[in-house]
Amino acid sequence: MPSRARSRRSFLIHSVAGLNATWVAANYPGILAAQAYVRKTTEQGQLPRLTVFTGQQAAEIEAMTAQIIPADESPGAKEAHCVYFIDRALATFLQNSRPAYVQGLEDLQSKVRELYPGAAKFSALSSEQQIKTLTAIEKTPFFNMVRTHTVIGFFSRPEHGGNYDKIGWKLIGYDGSLNHKPPFGYYDAQLERSEAGAKEQRP
Amino acid sequence: MKTYPTSTEVDFVVIGSGAAGGIMAKQLSTAGFSVVVLEQGGWGKYGREHEYNKDEWLQRNLSDEDRLMSDPSRQRNTFRRNEKEKAVRGNHSYGCVVGGGTVTYGGSSWRHLPWEFKEASHDSTVPAGTGLADWPIQYDELERYYTQAEWEMGISGLRVDSPFVAPMSKPYPVPPVPLKSSGALFQTAAAKLGLNVVPGPLAIITKPYMGRAACVNCGICSGYGCQVRARSSSAVTMLPLAEKTGRCEIRVRSYVREISVDNAGRVTGVVYFNEQKQEVRQRAKTVVLSANGSESARLLLLSKSARFPDGLANSSGLVGKYLMLGNGVVASALFEHPLNEYKGVISGAGIVDYVGSDPKRGFYGGGRLTARGYLTPLDLGLDGLSPGGPRWGAGYKQALREEANHRMTINCFVTQLPLETNRVDLDPDVKDDWGLPAMRITSTSHPDDFKNMQFFRTKSIEILEAAGAKKVWAPPIADTRGGAHNRGTCRMGNDPKTSVVDKYHKAHDVPNLFIVDGSSFVTGGRNHPTMTIQALAFRAADHIIQNAKKGAIRTNV
Repeated sequence: MPSRARSRRSFLIHSVAGLNATWVAANYPGILAAQAYVRKTTEQGQLPRLTVFTGQQAAEIEAMTAQIIPADESPGAKEAHCVYFIDRALATFLQNSRPAYVQGLEDLQSKVRELYPGAAKFSALSSEQQIKTLTAIEKTPFFNMVRTHTVIGFFSRPEHGGNYDKIGWKLIGYDGSLNHKPPFGYYDAQLERSEAGAKEQRP
Repeated sequence: MKTYPTSTEVDFVVIGSGAAGGIMAKQLSTAGFSVVVLEQGGWGKYGREHEYNKDEWLQRNLSDEDRLMSDPSRQRNTFRRNEKEKAVRGNHSYGCVVGGGTVTYGGSSWRHLPWEFKEASHDSTVPAGTGLADWPIQYDELERYYTQAEWEMGISGLRVDSPFVAPMSKPYPVPPVPLKSSGALFQTAAAKLGLNVVPGPLAIITKPYMGRAACVNCGICSGYGCQVRARSSSAVTMLPLAEKTGRCEIRVRSYVREISVDNAGRVTGVVYFNEQKQEVRQRAKTVVLSANGSESARLLLLSKSARFPDGLANSSGLVGKYLMLGNGVVASALFEHPLNEYKGVISGAGIVDYVGSDPKRGFYGGGRLTARGYLTPLDLGLDGLSPGGPRWGAGYKQALREEANHRMTINCFVTQLPLETNRVDLDPDVKDDWGLPAMRITSTSHPDDFKNMQFFRTKSIEILEAAGAKKVWAPPIADTRGGAHNRGTCRMGNDPKTSVVDKYHKAHDVPNLFIVDGSSFVTGGRNHPTMTIQALAFRAADHIIQNAKKGAIRTNV
């Protein structure tokens, strides 16, 4: 069997290996609870409230997510509400990771002070300074955890609280529709056209 | 659904409800026999398939209730390269739900070619010292059952006249799936390189068929249950028909721990754990073991008795041996324009020219290259970009934008030589969640298998380049440590000393035990086993029914 590349049989193994241990502990009822909460607030037309993060912690995490997937000509992780996805995760299925976030944010603070004496917060740094700071910690478990959670928030279905307005899906041209008609892509369309052309030329 | 008291001696207990078990249950119950199917997994969305969803975040975190595959943290297993190593915890996993692996598989339904049943005597490239042997049956005997399976399950495809594809007496019941962009690129490459592209035969219907709707190309296909019931799994084809007879009971969460025998060496029934992990004994006149190419062997080894101290049906000592886990090769490429490979089925066209072994290559081996694979948004974002690029920041975002939907992947399905040293047995230390010895897998592929994988890796790269790729990459070759294509552990043969079952799947040592699944395979084909498992199951069922009606197999009828 093919050993990689999303063959079905690699799927489960991949889904474990591709994520850090924190995510293996993620649990289904908690995800459903988070989903139900998001549905409720969305129906009421509200922005989700922060439950776990303080306003200041949220600002720091949000600034990190905004560097992991930045806004350029299109919106990024901040606009996709990734910080709310993470907050809701920590309130439900990811409660075990709360200490890692608290500790990670403290370490981040220390790193900021070390690199930029006098600076108070990561979120207050210039974009260039933020990138330098994250580059300095990009091998740490904390950074990789935030990166993983940001990516999941950015790309999982909007019902889970991130991927607001399908920002993640729009970036990659993913169509969430469940009914596609061929041609699916450029090359099969091209082949269809050339076959149709060949047919026409035949007497 | 019909239910039987456990005190009733039913005609047949069928262990497993997958590719083979589903067919056995349907054929035997339709013929008038009482059948109890024991499935260790749950119902899934059986009968309410529209409830399957494409939520990949939920899919990665399924509850026990919703799992469709076995869980290596419960169905524990261990792995080692060879007998000298101490086995470590493994990730072997297989379909584990009513319908088995057919509920989530890609649906590839290639037949074995006629010569694949006699490679040992007809192939001059076979190296010495392997377990490669001819099958005791030939293609001609199986052809009508391939046809029956294709028409009863619902297989889409195109009958082609090619030396690289098995001949068919009847076309497929429904036409092939639409060509994807990867298939069009395959054609571009094939035209340049002089190769042959064939639409992959698939257990996915493209037109309404037998009361089921056609595929809507929803995408993100394999690994997920099919909510329109277009994937022709046992759960939407065979098992509903079995239930409809009023003679078949399916019991879920039923984990069989023993096939029981009497002093005369006849099977009397099975003992299994129910959902509450209480032991239940079910009596049966005959047992059909269809638990898959690794679990069937393990259950026989677990079923030790005074009469069968080395495990049931194991006088040859071969139960568990000649395990073929199945190898594959992957290469990927980026193209200028979008392909949108996530739309439609996972497995499209195949290049079939290298299906046979060729002495000029200097080793035994063959296989098929298939345009196969897709990236979900999460797959892509977490670690799906081409190697070497940034993992965060502006460059990462730009790569997401540029690579998404521009990628094509080739998966090669290749040969694996049967070796006596590759095997399933019982781990001496590790227990599964039910307290039974865990499955231990010992496996290292033959050196020719590695040469063959290297050959296919090179060919894949060549083909992607010929198709006009901008960037091509392929991970280093590696052989497999587990997986749903496990075959060969109860091999079929005429000689009880060198095989476990006879040519009709009856255990040589036990008159009322039939072992029908991938474990019967003598050789592995090109690692596309399901169609052959299904044809063998229809054939075995025919034989059992005929003999039961003659009185040669005891039943209540």
